[in-house]
Amino acid sequence: MKSTKKIYAISPVSGDKVLSKSEEVDFSPANRLSTLEGKTVYLVDTGFGGSAYFMLALQKWFSDYYPTVRTVRKRKPGNVFMEDENCEKLWKEISEKGDAAILGVAG
Amino acid sequence: MEGKYGVPVAPISTIEYKKVVDMNPIGKVLQFVYTPHPVVGVAQDTLYDYISGDDPHSGKPVNIGIMDLLTKMVNPIKAGAKPNSSARQEDCNNLIGPDTEENLQALFYKKGWTEGLPIIVPTEERVRKMLEGTNVNPDELVAEVFLEDTNEVVKSTVANIATIAVMAGAETEYLPVILAIASMAEPSLRPSTTPFGSMVLVNGPIAEKIGINSGLAAFSAVNKANAVIGRAWTLISHCWGFSQYKKTLWSSLGNNFTYNNMCVAENEKRSCWQPFHVQNGYKKEDNAVSLFRGWTLINSSGAPSNRSVTEEMNILYEAIPSVYSNATIIMDPLVAKELKDKQGFKTKEEFSIHLSNSIKIEAGKFWAADTVQMLLGSEAERGVEPYSTWSRLNNEELINQYHDPKQIRIIVVGGETSPLFIATDYRHLGTASIDKWLPTQNETDCIEGLCGLPDKFNSYDD
Repeated sequence: MKSTKKIYAISPVSGDKVLSKSEEVDFSPANRLSTLEGKTVYLVDTGFGGSAYFMLALQKWFSDYYPTVRTVRKRKPGNVFMEDENCEKLWKEISEKGDAAILGVAG
Repeated sequence: MEGKYGVPVAPISTIEYKKVVDMNPIGKVLQFVYTPHPVVGVAQDTLYDYISGDDPHSGKPVNIGIMDLLTKMVNPIKAGAKPNSSARQEDCNNLIGPDTEENLQALFYKKGWTEGLPIIVPTEERVRKMLEGTNVNPDELVAEVFLEDTNEVVKSTVANIATIAVMAGAETEYLPVILAIASMAEPSLRPSTTPFGSMVLVNGPIAEKIGINSGLAAFSAVNKANAVIGRAWTLISHCWGFSQYKKTLWSSLGNNFTYNNMCVAENEKRSCWQPFHVQNGYKKEDNAVSLFRGWTLINSSGAPSNRSVTEEMNILYEAIPSVYSNATIIMDPLVAKELKDKQGFKTKEEFSIHLSNSIKIEAGKFWAADTVQMLLGSEAERGVEPYSTWSRLNNEELINQYHDPKQIRIIVVGGETSPLFIATDYRHLGTASIDKWLPTQNETDCIEGLCGLPDKFNSYDD
Protein backbone atom coordinates (compact mmCIF):
# COMPACT_ATOMS: atom_id res chain seq x y z
CA MET A 1 0.00 0.00 0.00
CA LYS A 2 1.34 3.43 -0.92
CA SER A 3 2.11 5.82 1.90
CA THR A 4 0.08 9.01 2.04
CA LYS A 5 2.38 10.56 4.64
CA LYS A 6 3.74 13.86 3.40
CA ILE A 7 7.41 14.71 3.84
CA TYR A 8 9.90 17.36 2.77
CA ALA A 9 12.91 16.63 0.59
CA ILE A 10 16.15 18.60 0.32
CA SER A 11 17.01 19.93 -3.12
CA PRO A 12 20.25 18.48 -4.52
CA VAL A 13 21.08 21.68 -6.41
CA SER A 14 22.41 24.89 -4.90
CA GLY A 15 20.32 28.01 -4.37
CA ASP A 16 22.26 31.20 -4.95
CA LYS A 17 25.28 29.12 -5.87
CA VAL A 18 23.77 28.15 -9.22
CA LEU A 19 24.50 30.84 -11.76
CA SER A 20 24.08 31.42 -15.41
CA LYS A 21 27.06 32.97 -17.08
CA SER A 22 26.23 36.27 -18.71
CA GLU A 23 28.33 37.43 -21.62
CA GLU A 24 27.93 40.54 -23.64
CA VAL A 25 28.76 40.05 -27.28
CA ASP A 26 29.57 42.89 -29.61
CA PHE A 27 29.17 41.83 -33.20
CA SER A 28 30.57 44.26 -35.74
CA PRO A 29 29.87 42.76 -39.13
CA ALA A 30 32.29 43.16 -41.99
CA ASN A 31 31.16 44.87 -45.14
CA ARG A 32 29.43 42.41 -47.44
CA LEU A 33 30.61 41.76 -50.99
CA SER A 34 28.61 43.20 -53.88
CA THR A 35 29.13 39.95 -55.77
CA LEU A 36 31.07 36.70 -55.45
CA GLU A 37 32.10 36.79 -59.10
CA GLY A 38 35.90 36.70 -59.36
CA LYS A 39 36.34 36.54 -55.60
CA THR A 40 38.33 34.12 -53.45
CA VAL A 41 36.21 32.29 -50.90
CA TYR A 42 37.84 30.19 -48.18
CA LEU A 43 35.93 27.03 -47.27
CA VAL A 44 36.99 26.34 -43.68
CA ASP A 45 36.01 23.03 -42.16
CA THR A 46 35.86 22.86 -38.39
CA GLY A 47 37.49 19.43 -38.28
CA PHE A 48 34.35 17.90 -36.81
CA GLY A 49 33.24 14.63 -38.37
CA GLY A 50 31.90 15.14 -41.90
CA SER A 51 32.91 18.79 -42.24
CA ALA A 52 35.85 18.13 -44.57
CA TYR A 53 33.64 16.14 -46.96
CA PHE A 54 30.92 18.79 -46.80
CA MET A 55 33.41 21.45 -47.87
CA LEU A 56 34.55 19.19 -50.70
CA ALA A 57 30.94 18.99 -51.88
CA LEU A 58 30.60 22.76 -51.55
CA GLN A 59 33.76 23.28 -53.55
CA LYS A 60 32.33 21.07 -56.31
CA TRP A 61 29.08 23.02 -56.20
CA PHE A 62 30.94 26.32 -56.69
CA SER A 63 32.92 24.78 -59.51
CA ASP A 64 29.69 23.61 -61.19
CA TYR A 65 27.63 26.78 -60.73
CA TYR A 66 30.06 29.62 -60.00
CA PRO A 67 33.26 28.72 -61.82
CA THR A 68 34.53 32.29 -61.55
CA VAL A 69 34.66 31.96 -57.76
CA ARG A 70 38.04 30.71 -56.57
CA THR A 71 37.67 28.43 -53.58
CA VAL A 72 40.38 27.47 -51.11
CA ARG A 73 39.69 24.62 -48.69
CA LYS A 74 41.32 24.76 -45.27
CA ARG A 75 40.89 23.01 -41.98
CA LYS A 76 40.36 25.24 -38.96
CA PRO A 77 43.49 24.86 -36.83
CA GLY A 78 43.39 24.18 -33.10
CA ASN A 79 40.63 22.81 -30.94
CA VAL A 80 37.84 21.33 -33.03
CA PHE A 81 35.17 22.56 -30.61
CA MET A 82 36.12 26.21 -30.25
CA GLU A 83 38.11 29.14 -31.55
CA ASP A 84 41.55 29.36 -29.98
CA GLU A 85 44.86 31.13 -30.55
CA ASN A 86 45.81 28.64 -33.26
CA CYS A 87 43.13 30.09 -35.54
CA GLU A 88 44.72 33.53 -35.80
CA LYS A 89 47.23 32.55 -38.49
CA LEU A 90 44.47 31.25 -40.76
CA TRP A 91 42.16 34.21 -40.14
CA LYS A 92 45.05 36.51 -41.07
CA GLU A 93 45.73 34.51 -44.25
CA ILE A 94 42.08 34.73 -45.24
CA SER A 95 42.04 38.49 -44.66
CA GLU A 96 45.13 38.91 -46.84
CA LYS A 97 44.40 36.45 -49.61
CA GLY A 98 40.65 35.97 -49.53
CA ASP A 99 37.46 37.97 -49.82
CA ALA A 100 35.05 35.86 -47.76
CA ALA A 101 34.85 32.66 -45.75
CA ILE A 102 32.36 29.88 -45.23
CA LEU A 103 32.80 28.10 -41.90
CA GLY A 104 31.22 24.84 -40.81
CA VAL A 105 29.83 22.30 -40.27
CA ALA A 106 29.37 19.82 -37.40
CA GLY A 107 27.56 16.55 -37.00
CA MET B 1 37.05 37.17 -38.29
CA GLU B 2 34.30 39.65 -39.16
CA GLY B 3 35.06 42.33 -36.57
CA LYS B 4 38.85 42.01 -36.35
CA TYR B 5 39.76 41.24 -39.97
CA GLY B 6 36.77 42.62 -41.86
CA VAL B 7 36.07 39.36 -43.69
CA PRO B 8 32.42 38.44 -44.30
CA VAL B 9 31.68 34.96 -43.01
CA ALA B 10 28.83 32.53 -43.63
CA PRO B 11 28.61 30.08 -40.70
CA ILE B 12 26.92 26.73 -41.34
CA SER B 13 25.53 24.17 -38.92
CA THR B 14 23.32 21.14 -39.25
CA ILE B 15 19.77 21.72 -38.04
CA GLU B 16 20.32 19.32 -35.14
CA TYR B 17 22.62 21.85 -33.47
CA LYS B 18 20.39 24.89 -33.87
CA LYS B 19 19.61 24.65 -30.15
CA VAL B 20 23.31 24.90 -29.33
CA VAL B 21 23.63 27.92 -31.62
CA ASP B 22 20.62 29.53 -29.95
CA MET B 23 22.01 28.96 -26.45
CA ASN B 24 25.45 30.37 -27.26
CA PRO B 25 26.02 34.11 -26.73
CA ILE B 26 27.94 34.39 -30.00
CA GLY B 27 25.60 32.05 -31.86
CA LYS B 28 22.67 34.19 -30.80
CA VAL B 29 23.96 37.22 -32.68
CA LEU B 30 25.19 35.49 -35.83
CA GLN B 31 23.00 34.44 -38.71
CA PHE B 32 23.51 30.80 -39.63
CA VAL B 33 22.67 28.65 -42.62
CA TYR B 34 21.41 25.19 -41.64
CA THR B 35 21.71 21.91 -43.50
CA PRO B 36 19.92 18.63 -42.85
CA HIS B 37 21.51 16.35 -40.28
CA PRO B 38 23.86 14.45 -40.27
CA VAL B 39 26.79 15.38 -42.48
CA VAL B 40 29.08 12.74 -41.01
CA GLY B 41 29.02 9.31 -42.57
CA VAL B 42 26.82 10.25 -45.55
CA ALA B 43 27.64 9.92 -49.23
CA GLN B 44 29.28 12.75 -51.14
CA ASP B 45 26.24 12.96 -53.44
CA THR B 46 23.99 13.47 -50.43
CA LEU B 47 26.14 16.33 -49.19
CA TYR B 48 25.96 17.89 -52.64
CA ASP B 49 22.18 17.57 -52.52
CA TYR B 50 22.11 19.28 -49.11
CA ILE B 51 23.74 22.32 -50.73
CA SER B 52 21.17 22.49 -53.51
CA GLY B 53 18.34 21.59 -51.16
CA ASP B 54 16.46 23.67 -48.63
CA ASP B 55 17.68 24.99 -45.31
CA PRO B 56 15.32 23.19 -42.88
CA HIS B 57 15.11 26.35 -40.76
CA SER B 58 14.64 29.16 -43.29
CA GLY B 59 13.11 27.10 -46.09
CA LYS B 60 15.45 28.78 -48.56
CA PRO B 61 17.98 26.77 -50.59
CA VAL B 62 21.22 26.35 -48.62
CA ASN B 63 23.29 27.80 -51.50
CA ILE B 64 21.11 30.92 -51.64
CA GLY B 65 21.40 31.31 -47.87
CA ILE B 66 25.20 31.19 -48.12
CA MET B 67 25.23 33.75 -50.95
CA ASP B 68 22.92 36.05 -49.01
CA LEU B 69 25.06 35.96 -45.88
CA LEU B 70 28.13 36.96 -47.88
CA THR B 71 26.55 39.63 -50.05
CA LYS B 72 23.63 41.17 -48.15
CA MET B 73 24.00 43.60 -45.28
CA VAL B 74 24.02 42.16 -41.79
CA ASN B 75 22.96 44.47 -38.96
CA PRO B 76 25.40 45.15 -36.12
CA ILE B 77 24.11 43.73 -32.89
CA LYS B 78 25.06 44.25 -29.30
CA ALA B 79 23.54 41.41 -27.40
CA GLY B 80 23.77 40.35 -23.82
CA ALA B 81 22.91 36.78 -22.99
CA LYS B 82 20.55 37.24 -20.09
CA PRO B 83 20.91 34.88 -17.16
CA ASN B 84 18.29 32.25 -17.69
CA SER B 85 18.18 30.84 -14.25
CA SER B 86 14.56 31.23 -13.22
CA ALA B 87 13.81 27.53 -13.58
CA ARG B 88 16.95 26.66 -11.67
CA GLN B 89 16.25 29.19 -8.95
CA GLU B 90 12.89 27.52 -8.46
CA ASP B 91 14.67 24.17 -8.15
CA CYS B 92 17.08 25.63 -5.66
CA ASN B 93 14.58 26.23 -2.91
CA ASN B 94 16.15 24.17 -0.23
CA LEU B 95 13.03 22.32 0.87
CA ILE B 96 10.74 20.62 -1.58
CA GLY B 97 7.27 19.54 -0.53
CA PRO B 98 5.57 18.50 1.56
CA ASP B 99 4.44 15.62 -0.60
CA THR B 100 4.21 11.86 -0.53
CA GLU B 101 7.40 9.87 -1.08
CA GLU B 102 5.93 8.50 -4.30
CA ASN B 103 5.23 11.99 -5.66
CA LEU B 104 8.67 13.22 -4.62
CA GLN B 105 10.26 10.27 -6.46
CA ALA B 106 8.32 11.29 -9.57
CA LEU B 107 9.25 14.95 -9.12
CA PHE B 108 12.98 14.21 -8.81
CA TYR B 109 12.81 12.13 -11.99
CA LYS B 110 10.88 14.86 -13.82
CA LYS B 111 13.45 17.47 -12.84
CA GLY B 112 16.21 15.34 -14.34
CA TRP B 113 17.91 14.59 -11.03
CA THR B 114 17.86 10.80 -11.40
CA GLU B 115 18.80 8.22 -14.00
CA GLY B 116 15.42 6.51 -13.75
CA LEU B 117 16.03 4.08 -10.93
CA PRO B 118 14.29 4.80 -7.62
CA ILE B 119 16.17 7.07 -5.25
CA ILE B 120 16.21 7.41 -1.50
CA VAL B 121 14.28 10.63 -0.94
CA PRO B 122 16.74 13.05 0.72
CA THR B 123 14.88 14.18 3.81
CA GLU B 124 16.46 16.65 6.18
CA GLU B 125 17.15 13.91 8.70
CA ARG B 126 18.82 11.64 6.14
CA VAL B 127 20.99 14.44 4.77
CA ARG B 128 22.01 15.52 8.28
CA LYS B 129 23.01 11.95 9.04
CA MET B 130 24.96 11.73 5.76
CA LEU B 131 26.88 14.90 6.65
CA GLU B 132 28.33 13.05 9.63
CA GLY B 133 30.48 11.33 7.01
CA THR B 134 32.70 14.40 6.70
CA ASN B 135 34.05 17.15 8.89
CA VAL B 136 34.02 19.69 6.10
CA ASN B 137 31.51 22.53 6.45
CA PRO B 138 28.27 21.76 4.57
CA ASP B 139 28.46 25.16 2.84
CA GLU B 140 31.97 24.63 1.51
CA LEU B 141 32.23 24.62 -2.26
CA VAL B 142 33.19 21.23 -3.69
CA ALA B 143 33.03 21.89 -7.42
CA GLU B 144 32.31 24.57 -9.96
CA VAL B 145 31.32 23.19 -13.32
CA PHE B 146 30.86 24.98 -16.63
CA LEU B 147 28.29 23.60 -19.05
CA GLU B 148 29.55 24.93 -22.36
CA ASP B 149 26.45 23.95 -24.31
CA THR B 150 24.09 25.95 -22.07
CA ASN B 151 26.67 28.51 -21.00
CA GLU B 152 25.94 27.93 -17.33
CA VAL B 153 28.17 27.73 -14.30
CA VAL B 154 26.93 25.30 -11.66
CA LYS B 155 28.31 25.14 -8.15
CA SER B 156 27.95 22.29 -5.69
CA THR B 157 28.51 22.44 -1.95
CA VAL B 158 29.24 19.65 0.50
CA ALA B 159 25.54 19.72 1.44
CA ASN B 160 24.50 19.29 -2.21
CA ILE B 161 26.78 16.31 -2.67
CA ALA B 162 25.64 14.78 0.64
CA THR B 163 22.05 15.12 -0.58
CA ILE B 164 22.93 13.29 -3.77
CA ALA B 165 24.78 10.63 -1.76
CA VAL B 166 21.53 10.00 0.12
CA MET B 167 19.63 9.79 -3.17
CA ALA B 168 22.11 7.20 -4.47
CA GLY B 169 21.65 5.05 -1.38
CA ALA B 170 25.07 5.69 0.14
CA GLU B 171 26.23 4.75 3.59
CA THR B 172 27.65 7.66 5.60
CA GLU B 173 31.19 6.34 5.25
CA TYR B 174 30.95 6.46 1.43
CA LEU B 175 30.57 10.25 1.50
CA PRO B 176 34.31 11.18 1.48
CA VAL B 177 34.79 9.12 -1.69
CA ILE B 178 31.77 10.72 -3.34
CA LEU B 179 32.97 14.21 -2.35
CA ALA B 180 36.40 13.44 -3.79
CA ILE B 181 34.77 12.34 -7.06
CA ALA B 182 32.69 15.53 -7.19
CA SER B 183 35.73 17.68 -6.40
CA MET B 184 37.20 16.85 -9.80
CA ALA B 185 34.28 18.66 -11.48
CA GLU B 186 34.08 16.06 -14.23
CA PRO B 187 30.68 14.74 -15.34
CA SER B 188 30.21 11.04 -15.98
CA LEU B 189 27.82 12.00 -18.78
CA ARG B 190 29.86 13.90 -21.34
CA PRO B 191 28.06 16.25 -23.75
CA SER B 192 29.00 14.48 -26.95
CA THR B 193 27.21 12.64 -29.73
CA THR B 194 29.66 9.79 -29.09
CA PRO B 195 29.12 7.04 -26.49
CA PHE B 196 31.53 8.00 -23.73
CA GLY B 197 31.84 5.62 -20.80
CA SER B 198 33.40 6.47 -17.45
CA MET B 199 35.21 4.64 -14.67
CA VAL B 200 35.90 5.20 -10.95
CA LEU B 201 38.94 3.65 -9.28
CA VAL B 202 39.48 3.81 -5.51
CA ASN B 203 42.89 3.23 -3.94
CA GLY B 204 44.06 3.12 -0.35
CA PRO B 205 42.92 1.49 2.90
CA ILE B 206 39.47 3.05 2.68
CA ALA B 207 38.50 0.69 -0.13
CA GLU B 208 38.60 -2.34 2.13
CA LYS B 209 37.23 -0.41 5.11
CA ILE B 210 34.02 0.56 3.34
CA GLY B 211 33.78 -2.62 1.30
CA ILE B 212 34.57 -1.63 -2.26
CA ASN B 213 35.07 -4.80 -4.24
CA SER B 214 38.45 -5.15 -5.95
CA GLY B 215 38.48 -8.92 -6.29
CA LEU B 216 36.13 -11.59 -7.55
CA ALA B 217 33.46 -10.18 -9.89
CA ALA B 218 34.62 -6.63 -9.14
CA PHE B 219 32.67 -5.25 -12.09
CA SER B 220 29.59 -7.41 -11.53
CA ALA B 221 26.34 -6.06 -10.14
CA VAL B 222 26.80 -7.66 -6.74
CA ASN B 223 28.29 -5.14 -4.35
CA LYS B 224 26.70 -2.18 -2.62
CA ALA B 225 29.67 0.19 -2.32
CA ASN B 226 30.64 -0.25 -5.99
CA ALA B 227 27.05 0.18 -7.13
CA VAL B 228 26.20 3.18 -5.00
CA ILE B 229 29.43 5.20 -5.22
CA GLY B 230 29.52 4.74 -8.99
CA ARG B 231 25.84 5.65 -9.24
CA ALA B 232 26.38 8.78 -7.15
CA TRP B 233 28.76 10.17 -9.80
CA THR B 234 26.04 9.92 -12.43
CA LEU B 235 23.39 11.43 -10.14
CA ILE B 236 25.82 14.31 -9.48
CA SER B 237 26.16 14.72 -13.25
CA HIS B 238 22.37 14.79 -13.61
CA CYS B 239 22.08 17.44 -10.91
CA TRP B 240 24.80 19.51 -12.58
CA GLY B 241 22.60 19.49 -15.69
CA PHE B 242 24.36 17.02 -17.97
CA SER B 243 21.25 14.98 -18.79
CA GLN B 244 19.22 17.59 -20.65
CA TYR B 245 18.10 16.06 -23.94
CA LYS B 246 19.65 17.86 -26.90
CA LYS B 247 20.94 20.63 -24.67
CA THR B 248 23.74 18.83 -22.87
CA LEU B 249 22.97 15.19 -23.68
CA TRP B 250 23.74 14.29 -27.27
CA SER B 251 25.07 10.74 -27.19
CA SER B 252 23.34 8.99 -30.05
CA LEU B 253 23.61 5.52 -28.53
CA GLY B 254 24.37 6.40 -24.92
CA ASN B 255 26.43 4.17 -22.70
CA ASN B 256 25.05 1.67 -20.22
CA PHE B 257 28.23 1.77 -18.12
CA THR B 258 27.20 5.17 -16.77
CA TYR B 259 24.71 3.50 -14.42
CA ASN B 260 27.58 2.82 -11.99
CA ASN B 261 30.61 3.96 -13.99
CA MET B 262 32.56 0.72 -13.47
CA CYS B 263 33.29 1.71 -9.88
CA VAL B 264 35.97 -0.57 -8.38
CA ALA B 265 38.98 -0.54 -6.10
CA GLU B 266 42.41 -1.68 -7.20
CA ASN B 267 43.33 -5.09 -5.81
CA GLU B 268 46.41 -3.76 -4.07
CA LYS B 269 46.82 -6.83 -1.84
CA ARG B 270 47.10 -9.25 -4.76
CA SER B 271 48.84 -6.96 -7.22
CA CYS B 272 52.57 -7.48 -7.65
CA TRP B 273 53.01 -3.90 -8.86
CA GLN B 274 52.77 -0.41 -7.38
CA PRO B 275 49.20 0.81 -6.78
CA PHE B 276 47.79 3.34 -9.23
CA HIS B 277 47.58 6.21 -6.73
CA VAL B 278 51.22 5.69 -5.73
CA GLN B 279 52.16 5.98 -9.41
CA ASN B 280 50.40 9.34 -9.28
CA GLY B 281 52.26 10.81 -6.34
CA TYR B 282 50.28 9.55 -3.34
CA LYS B 283 51.58 7.40 -0.50
CA LYS B 284 50.39 3.84 -0.20
CA GLU B 285 48.50 4.67 3.00
CA ASP B 286 46.73 7.62 1.35
CA ASN B 287 43.19 7.26 0.07
CA ALA B 288 42.55 8.54 -3.42
CA VAL B 289 40.01 8.22 -6.19
CA SER B 290 40.77 8.34 -9.90
CA LEU B 291 38.39 9.01 -12.76
CA PHE B 292 38.65 7.78 -16.34
CA ARG B 293 36.71 8.32 -19.55
CA GLY B 294 36.75 6.78 -22.99
CA TRP B 295 34.80 5.19 -25.80
CA THR B 296 36.04 1.67 -26.32
CA LEU B 297 36.28 -1.33 -24.04
CA ILE B 298 37.04 -4.89 -25.07
CA ASN B 299 37.06 -7.82 -22.66
CA SER B 300 39.54 -10.58 -23.34
CA SER B 301 37.12 -13.40 -23.92
CA GLY B 302 39.44 -16.19 -22.87
CA ALA B 303 42.75 -16.82 -21.23
CA PRO B 304 45.99 -16.46 -23.21
CA SER B 305 46.34 -20.23 -23.74
CA ASN B 306 47.85 -20.27 -27.21
CA ARG B 307 49.42 -16.81 -27.38
CA SER B 308 51.16 -14.63 -24.82
CA VAL B 309 49.24 -11.94 -22.94
CA THR B 310 51.22 -9.33 -24.82
CA GLU B 311 50.22 -10.81 -28.18
CA GLU B 312 46.58 -10.85 -27.10
CA MET B 313 46.80 -7.20 -26.05
CA ASN B 314 48.51 -6.21 -29.27
CA ILE B 315 45.70 -7.74 -31.31
CA LEU B 316 43.01 -5.86 -29.38
CA TYR B 317 44.87 -2.55 -29.34
CA GLU B 318 45.51 -2.67 -33.07
CA ALA B 319 41.71 -2.44 -33.38
CA ILE B 320 41.20 0.48 -30.98
CA PRO B 321 41.95 3.88 -32.54
CA SER B 322 44.44 5.75 -30.38
CA VAL B 323 43.77 9.37 -29.48
CA TYR B 324 46.77 10.92 -27.73
CA SER B 325 47.92 7.37 -26.82
CA ASN B 326 45.24 7.08 -24.15
CA ALA B 327 44.76 3.51 -22.94
CA THR B 328 43.84 1.93 -19.63
CA ILE B 329 44.35 -1.79 -19.22
CA ILE B 330 42.50 -3.47 -16.39
CA MET B 331 44.05 -6.81 -15.64
CA ASP B 332 43.54 -9.65 -13.21
CA PRO B 333 46.33 -10.11 -10.62
CA LEU B 334 47.18 -13.39 -12.40
CA VAL B 335 48.03 -11.46 -15.56
CA ALA B 336 50.20 -8.99 -13.65
CA LYS B 337 51.98 -11.90 -11.94
CA GLU B 338 52.61 -13.63 -15.27
CA LEU B 339 53.98 -10.42 -16.79
CA LYS B 340 56.27 -9.80 -13.84
CA ASP B 341 57.44 -13.29 -12.95
CA LYS B 342 57.55 -14.93 -16.39
CA GLN B 343 58.07 -12.06 -18.78
CA GLY B 344 60.26 -9.85 -16.59
CA PHE B 345 58.29 -6.62 -16.44
CA LYS B 346 59.26 -5.37 -12.99
CA THR B 347 56.90 -2.39 -13.04
CA LYS B 348 53.73 -1.27 -14.72
CA GLU B 349 55.77 1.44 -16.46
CA GLU B 350 58.09 -1.14 -18.03
CA PHE B 351 55.15 -3.00 -19.47
CA SER B 352 53.59 0.23 -20.78
CA ILE B 353 56.82 1.02 -22.63
CA HIS B 354 56.84 -2.46 -24.13
CA LEU B 355 53.25 -2.13 -25.34
CA SER B 356 53.88 1.32 -26.74
CA ASN B 357 56.68 -0.08 -28.87
CA SER B 358 54.94 -3.27 -29.93
CA ILE B 359 51.43 -2.15 -30.98
CA LYS B 360 51.64 -1.21 -34.67
CA ILE B 361 49.07 -0.32 -37.28
CA GLU B 362 49.17 1.09 -40.80
CA ALA B 363 49.20 4.90 -41.00
CA GLY B 364 46.26 4.86 -43.43
CA LYS B 365 44.09 2.92 -40.99
CA PHE B 366 45.06 5.26 -38.16
CA TRP B 367 44.10 8.45 -40.00
CA ALA B 368 40.86 6.97 -41.34
CA ALA B 369 39.42 6.73 -37.82
CA ASP B 370 36.92 9.57 -37.35
CA THR B 371 38.01 10.49 -33.82
CA VAL B 372 41.68 10.42 -34.80
CA GLN B 373 41.13 12.69 -37.79
CA MET B 374 38.91 15.02 -35.78
CA LEU B 375 41.14 15.40 -32.72
CA LEU B 376 44.64 14.86 -34.10
CA GLY B 377 44.29 16.18 -37.66
CA SER B 378 44.78 19.79 -36.62
CA GLU B 379 47.71 18.76 -34.39
CA ALA B 380 49.40 17.27 -37.45
CA GLU B 381 48.77 20.43 -39.45
CA ARG B 382 50.36 22.68 -36.85
CA GLY B 383 53.45 20.49 -36.66
CA VAL B 384 52.88 18.55 -33.44
CA GLU B 385 54.91 15.32 -33.48
CA PRO B 386 54.59 12.45 -34.14
CA TYR B 387 51.28 13.34 -35.84
CA SER B 388 52.88 15.72 -38.31
CA THR B 389 55.33 13.04 -39.49
CA TRP B 390 52.64 10.36 -39.51
CA SER B 391 50.39 12.52 -41.71
CA ARG B 392 53.06 12.42 -44.42
CA LEU B 393 53.56 8.65 -44.40
CA ASN B 394 52.28 6.28 -47.03
CA ASN B 395 49.09 4.50 -45.98
CA GLU B 396 50.79 1.12 -45.57
CA GLU B 397 53.67 2.33 -43.38
CA LEU B 398 53.48 1.08 -39.80
CA ILE B 399 53.25 3.42 -36.82
CA ASN B 400 53.13 2.76 -33.09
CA GLN B 401 49.79 4.48 -32.52
CA TYR B 402 50.17 4.29 -28.70
CA HIS B 403 53.42 6.21 -28.94
CA ASP B 404 53.42 7.72 -25.44
CA PRO B 405 53.83 5.02 -22.76
CA LYS B 406 52.95 7.50 -20.00
CA GLN B 407 49.38 7.51 -21.30
CA ILE B 408 49.10 3.71 -21.11
CA ARG B 409 47.73 3.07 -17.63
CA ILE B 410 47.57 -0.28 -15.90
CA ILE B 411 45.18 -1.20 -13.12
CA VAL B 412 45.06 -4.53 -11.31
CA VAL B 413 41.55 -5.74 -10.48
CA GLY B 414 40.01 -9.18 -10.19
CA GLY B 415 39.58 -12.39 -8.28
CA GLU B 416 42.26 -14.64 -9.82
CA THR B 417 39.89 -17.25 -11.19
CA SER B 418 41.22 -16.67 -14.72
CA PRO B 419 44.04 -14.60 -16.25
CA LEU B 420 41.84 -12.11 -18.11
CA PHE B 421 42.08 -8.42 -18.90
CA ILE B 422 40.06 -5.53 -20.30
CA ALA B 423 41.51 -3.31 -23.01
CA THR B 424 40.16 0.24 -23.06
CA ASP B 425 41.00 3.58 -24.61
CA TYR B 426 40.06 5.30 -21.36
CA ARG B 427 41.87 8.52 -20.49
CA HIS B 428 42.90 9.28 -16.91
CA LEU B 429 40.98 12.44 -15.99
CA GLY B 430 42.64 12.90 -12.64
CA THR B 431 43.18 11.60 -9.13
CA ALA B 432 41.88 13.35 -6.00
CA SER B 433 42.48 12.88 -2.31
CA ILE B 434 39.73 11.24 -0.31
CA ASP B 435 41.46 11.98 2.99
CA LYS B 436 40.68 15.69 2.99
CA TRP B 437 36.97 14.80 3.16
CA LEU B 438 37.21 12.22 5.95
CA PRO B 439 35.62 12.94 9.31
CA THR B 440 37.93 13.53 12.25
CA GLN B 441 38.54 10.24 13.95
CA ASN B 442 37.10 9.73 17.38
CA GLU B 443 37.94 7.12 19.95
CA THR B 444 35.57 4.58 18.47
CA ASP B 445 36.97 5.03 14.98
CA CYS B 446 40.55 3.87 14.96
CA ILE B 447 42.05 3.09 11.56
CA GLU B 448 44.91 0.59 11.61
CA GLY B 449 45.74 1.39 15.25
CA LEU B 450 47.11 4.81 14.35
CA CYS B 451 45.07 6.77 16.88
CA GLY B 452 46.94 5.31 19.85
CA LEU B 453 43.80 4.25 21.67
CA PRO B 454 43.21 0.69 22.82
CA ASP B 455 41.05 -1.40 20.50
CA LYS B 456 37.46 -2.04 21.51
CA PHE B 457 36.80 -5.29 23.31
CA ASN B 458 35.47 -7.92 20.97
CA SER B 459 32.96 -10.37 22.37
CA TYR B 460 33.17 -13.97 21.20
CA ASP B 461 30.79 -16.91 21.19
CA ASP B 462 31.19 -19.22 24.13
